[in-house]
Amino acid sequence: MSNAPLRVVLAKVGLDGHDRGIKVVARALRDAGFHVIYAGLWQTPEAVVRAVADEDADWLGISLLSGAHMTLMPRLLQLLREAGLSHVGVLVGGIIPEDDVPKLLELGVAKVFGPGTPLDDIVAFLQQAPRDRHASTAS
Amino acid sequence: MLAPLLERFRQRDRLALARLLSLVARGEQTEEILAGLPTTAKPARVVSITGPGGVGKSSLTGKLIAEIRRHHLSVAVLACDPQSPLSGGALLGDRFRMPAHPDDDGVFIRSLAAAGGQGALAAHLPALLQLVESFGFEVILLETVGAGQGDTAVRALVDVVVLLLQPETGDELQWEKAGLLEVADVIALHKADLPGIDRAEAQVLAALGLSAGPTPPVLRVSSRTGQGIADLWQAIRALPLRRGLRRDADELFRLTREWLAVRFAAVRATPPCTALLDRWRTGQVRTEAAVRELLRLLSDSPLDHD
Ligand SMILES: Nc1nc2c(ncn2[C@@H]2O[C@H](COP(=O)(O)OP(=O)(O)O)[C@@H](O)[C@H]2O)c(=O)[nH]1
Ligand SMILES: [Mg+2]
Repeated sequence: MSNAPLRVVLAKVGLDGHDRGIKVVARALRDAGFHVIYAGLWQTPEAVVRAVADEDADWLGISLLSGAHMTLMPRLLQLLREAGLSHVGVLVGGIIPEDDVPKLLELGVAKVFGPGTPLDDIVAFLQQAPRDRHASTAS
Repeated sequence: MLAPLLERFRQRDRLALARLLSLVARGEQTEEILAGLPTTAKPARVVSITGPGGVGKSSLTGKLIAEIRRHHLSVAVLACDPQSPLSGGALLGDRFRMPAHPDDDGVFIRSLAAAGGQGALAAHLPALLQLVESFGFEVILLETVGAGQGDTAVRALVDVVVLLLQPETGDELQWEKAGLLEVADVIALHKADLPGIDRAEAQVLAALGLSAGPTPPVLRVSSRTGQGIADLWQAIRALPLRRGLRRDADELFRLTREWLAVRFAAVRATPPCTALLDRWRTGQVRTEAAVRELLRLLSDSPLDHD
């Protein structure tokens, strides 16, 4: 419908402390023309879903280092569905064991980016993804 | 396909509010959207939180949210950030400093960066505010970077302007040169926990002392310690709703002009008026007296219009 900038919410769930990686991604996406909403560290799944809703995000990028991905991600995806936000694309970044990647994709995650993924790859993935995710809720 | 979205908005669906804000921020279908909004029963109190980058606008907004909720008022935040003129992208980090309970429907926080920069955003602000107000929020906090004289545009859209200043290390009087003080209804000396606060307060009071007219209250506030937050909200609450006042005055002036036009048309053909005109033309009555006489005729004449 339009080529307005896509809105991406970036958040870090779980208890591990540092946010360098997510901030680097945030800047790269901004420089590629996205509107990036940095929702912060130590977010609960509920707070992330609220941010995605109020910010009318097209994408949600979750950073995980804590190893809790197989409990956090199903819960998060479930909450998104319950909130009427199934149209939002979900990306996961962080240290995810090889075996768990297909499981996350099965759950509905659009893409998993391991540590050291070139920023260009992340930007390219979002740029080539279909723009009509909104079909279910808007015009 | 706006109708279903507007219907959901009327049913107080937050996702519909969020989506309509996106459309309006991009300047898409604004007229149609505004035409479809329910009228607000009670006007919101719209408060702009402004000041230079880094002064702590987002942190203070976060504290005010909690204070406002303590008074059982619902609150929406529009946090506006500049976007990169080169890429059109933006990094919106304000909500990160505004912790809110995710299950509290009385708080809505939205980050905004309009295509075309701060100027374009200002152009869309009236409609954005109308959307949030129409949804029913009782307080609206608008975070914008204060850049000096240009902010008078924002001032006209809000009830109360809170200007944040902080103890400075560099060129202390930047804000004075920028004409920032003139737009303020309340001045918050923020980061009052820092050592330079006495000097900053003295400078602000001195600068205000030079200006004519009433001076805004100056409060020491710290988002870090919580000092002055409750007092700041009391100061904001104590001020009149400027938008409402202006709207009433404009309405009154408009009605008066219409009333005058109608009466003038009715009176000018009547015998007392033609007689007055004759006496004035022939010099029997001086102009000033004739004007007074005419005004008396206008106010005496029956108004069959109302
Ligand atoms: N010392 C002190 N620092 C503060 C206070 N409030 C905010 N800050 C810091 O000021 C910086 C900018 O805050 P932010 O709210 O993002 O400012 P904004 O750019 O005006 O929105 C951050 O590093 C905050 O931690 C305060 O009351 N005291
Ligand atoms: Mg800010």
